[in-house]
Amino acid sequence: MRVAAHPELFDPDAESPTLRATRCASCGRVAFPPIAIGCDVCGALEEQLTPIAVEAAGVIHASATVHRHFGEPPTPFTIVEVRLDDGPIARGMGDPGSDGFSVGQRVAATWQVERVDDDGNDVVEPVFAAIEEVRS
Amino acid sequence: MRRPLSDLRPVYVVGIGLHPYQRPGETPYTALGVHAIRGALADAGIEWTDVESAYTGTATTAMALSRLMYRHLGSTGIPMVQVENASASGSTAVRQAAFEVAAGLADVSIAVGVDKPLNFTMPQGAAGARDLVGGRAAPFTHFALLADRYMHETGATPENFAQVAVKNSRNGALNPNAQRRKVRTLEDVLEPPQISGILTRLQCTPIGEGAAAAIIVSEDAIERLGIDRSRAVRISSSASQSEQVYDGENFDVALTKATTEQALGEAGIGPGDLDVVELHDAFTVEELLYVEAMGLCEPGHAAEALMSGEFDIGGRVAVSPSGGLLAMGHPTGPTGVGQICEITTQLRGEGGERQQPDARTGLAHMVGVGAVCVVHVLSRPA
Repeated sequence: MRVAAHPELFDPDAESPTLRATRCASCGRVAFPPIAIGCDVCGALEEQLTPIAVEAAGVIHASATVHRHFGEPPTPFTIVEVRLDDGPIARGMGDPGSDGFSVGQRVAATWQVERVDDDGNDVVEPVFAAIEEVRS
Repeated sequence: MRRPLSDLRPVYVVGIGLHPYQRPGETPYTALGVHAIRGALADAGIEWTDVESAYTGTATTAMALSRLMYRHLGSTGIPMVQVENASASGSTAVRQAAFEVAAGLADVSIAVGVDKPLNFTMPQGAAGARDLVGGRAAPFTHFALLADRYMHETGATPENFAQVAVKNSRNGALNPNAQRRKVRTLEDVLEPPQISGILTRLQCTPIGEGAAAAIIVSEDAIERLGIDRSRAVRISSSASQSEQVYDGENFDVALTKATTEQALGEAGIGPGDLDVVELHDAFTVEELLYVEAMGLCEPGHAAEALMSGEFDIGGRVAVSPSGGLLAMGHPTGPTGVGQICEITTQLRGEGGERQQPDARTGLAHMVGVGAVCVVHVLSRPA
């Protein structure tokens, strides 16, 4: 079974990763990571912040390969900023199997197993990988 | 109604002092701070008993650190407070001291920055705020991402960023208070270790310890205490803003642009009037981003202007003549006060080997994680 490393940020049951965001009913702001307490654009109350699901897909805004880091994961690893199709820019992990990223490149998230918990579940997080443009 | 600093009574920096920025060591913060304060008092030619209030910019040492330090100058009972605003803590301490004097609540106030890198804490955990990367994206990766984006937008190269560190190392080598005092070549700067993205070690600020102090006074104090008016540098404006939601636009740039515009506007000048600028160059990419955001050159042309020497000492506008955060260092609390010390030195014409010729107007800029931005404009005595 798949469980989320951070259940407040994504739904591990979805076939391909789907992110948990919020949309402000007052100003329309789509926030990822999802925001609680009050909207960071207009200050609307928490009741106005509707949970929504957004596809973990978009284009690379920027990327950086990290060479110096204390703790997990071992270096090098890549951090990406993705302009999601639903609007916000999300910062996430690049797929370790990817051969580098370039600005404007189309990406989508896949599941990566971070570890296996005591119950034998796969603890997963989404990592972004390049995908082919779908041409119609 | 909101009013600018210039609507209140004039305020001046009349005394500056520093403890050299250095690698973390055994020196107590109290000794670092008192060294800088004694320097500032001697520079102003006044006594500790003349100081009526104290603001201590600090972020990484410990709570309630002020009195344990100031007591070594004599316990005069003055009001004192710690000012924490991340990297902009010292700048904010200067701002608070300037406001108190400008408002007429005191004639003599001191802004001190002091820190040892002992406690770095961030609020996200306490806020329950998570993102997909957590601690895997350190500040240097934030700026590596900005560098990647900037290269895409402008065609800049990794060598262009490295040139910032080359220039600032040259300036820092002339500054006895700098943590890094070695002139570095382009090859030195590009040499591994690679830290994140295009950033190498010498393109990242060294976090150390140190102290800086600036004495801020009114006209009345200059008169009453017999302070040398010819060395008094006026604080023409003080602006501070915090991050808004920019929908993907680089927030460090947007915040710098808005805060600098406010500071220049309230000082009644434009970017072309600046002779010296000290800015938050914790990472090389920041200098290129901020000189454009400040209007010191056209957008996308910072690398070109840098390469042609426009930001050198002796160039059109000297950027980070102290060596900046890259070479002078970034002990956190002291950094913003240290910038005021450098601008004051430059506007007095006392910069020695690193003096920008005929410097009349200077600007000090810090951003603090969170994010906040603080900008001061200073003018030399008439």
